[in-house]
Amino acid sequence: MNCKQIEELLIDHLDGNLDQKEHQVITAHLTTCNSCKESLQELQLVFDEIDNDPEELPDASMKVNFEEMLEKEKGKLNTPTVVTLDQSSKNYWRTALQIAATIALVFSAYFYGKQQNNDSFSQEMAVLEKEKVQLKQEVTISLIENESASMRLKAVNYAEEFEKPGNEILRALINKMFYDDHISVRLAAAEALIKFSDLEMVRKALIDALEMEQDPGMQIELIQILVSMQEKRAIPSMEKLLQNEETPSYVKDQVTIGLPSLI
Amino acid sequence: MKNLTDEELMVLVSNGNLDMMSILFERYHIRIFNFLLKMTRDRDISQDITQEVFYKAIKYRTSYKKGKFSSWIYTIARNIFSDHYQSQKNKEQRLDEIEYKIEREETDGIEKGEIKEQLNKALGRLNQNDRELVIMSRYQGIKYQEIAEITGSTAGAVKTKVHRAIHKLKDHYLQNV
Repeated sequence: MNCKQIEELLIDHLDGNLDQKEHQVITAHLTTCNSCKESLQELQLVFDEIDNDPEELPDASMKVNFEEMLEKEKGKLNTPTVVTLDQSSKNYWRTALQIAATIALVFSAYFYGKQQNNDSFSQEMAVLEKEKVQLKQEVTISLIENESASMRLKAVNYAEEFEKPGNEILRALINKMFYDDHISVRLAAAEALIKFSDLEMVRKALIDALEMEQDPGMQIELIQILVSMQEKRAIPSMEKLLQNEETPSYVKDQVTIGLPSLI
Repeated sequence: MKNLTDEELMVLVSNGNLDMMSILFERYHIRIFNFLLKMTRDRDISQDITQEVFYKAIKYRTSYKKGKFSSWIYTIARNIFSDHYQSQKNKEQRLDEIEYKIEREETDGIEKGEIKEQLNKALGRLNQNDRELVIMSRYQGIKYQEIAEITGSTAGAVKTKVHRAIHKLKDHYLQNV
């Protein structure tokens, strides 16, 4: 073996990784070759230095941080796995709904585009829409005069659905609130009118209704409505109720609760 | 529990017994930290990465496939280390800082004349692959076969590379002494 080959075995020699034959060859060579002997000593020096290199210790905070992280991960583990199963089934429906929504979107986009292209069609639609509203109003008014109290009640509830009811509807509602024989219809009419309470006509009617109303249940309802509307003109009627001996005490109580917020 | 092997403990961890990771942390965190410290020469970064190694080991516990635990944890450490330096490479500033640290330690070493610092300096002059091989093989005493598992190589190839790296290290070292 030449020096180059020997040098390549020096590390294994130091590590004791050579078989007996190789070991003998190396030992023999080293006794005669100073260059290889020197090389071996240098390697030994480097290995000794490495072995003497002390291990460093990390800061104590590292263990603390590790424990903290471990607790956090354990916390995540405790959330029941049932939830994930549940979610996957929900996701299944969600996917179905997403597909449905996509289809719906495509169709509506198609029809929207078609409608956009057709001005006369949309004008027709507007006319129809207007007619529909008118028809609904007429139906409501005729129903409101129906003999059956439940029909009238239904009509009052319809009336409430109008965004901008015509005066006819409002008058019919006010009329019901004043004069209907059934307390339930009068109550429903009053409740329906709350929605339109920014109209002077409606406010006035509600004040008048309190003045006229004899039924305690209706009186309480009207007091509540007027107080929530902050209608100060209702104060005289309320005071009158307080002074009237015939007024039931629970109606008076309602007035006593409501009045301070008006004054 | 303390006399279970690393592999038995890790199987328990991957089955959801996270407390067993504490024992593995005790067995490995100093070694991993020192491996990184030799690679980076930066205590703070080494501590951060070591922390992340154990976080990832827990997070990806189910990906542990019954191999040698130490190979697995070193693989994680290497990945985080290279990710870290890959991302730092884009930020020139961090690299400069490392350069500076080496420089400073070098001058310190010369002033104090400490052999240990000379060796660290020589180690710093190796390229990253050679340095890693020397650290794993000689500082950490990891067998060639296991280094091969960690680095995705063969034991024979690792041995050859380690030997070459040691000779380079020796030459750098002797130039300075």
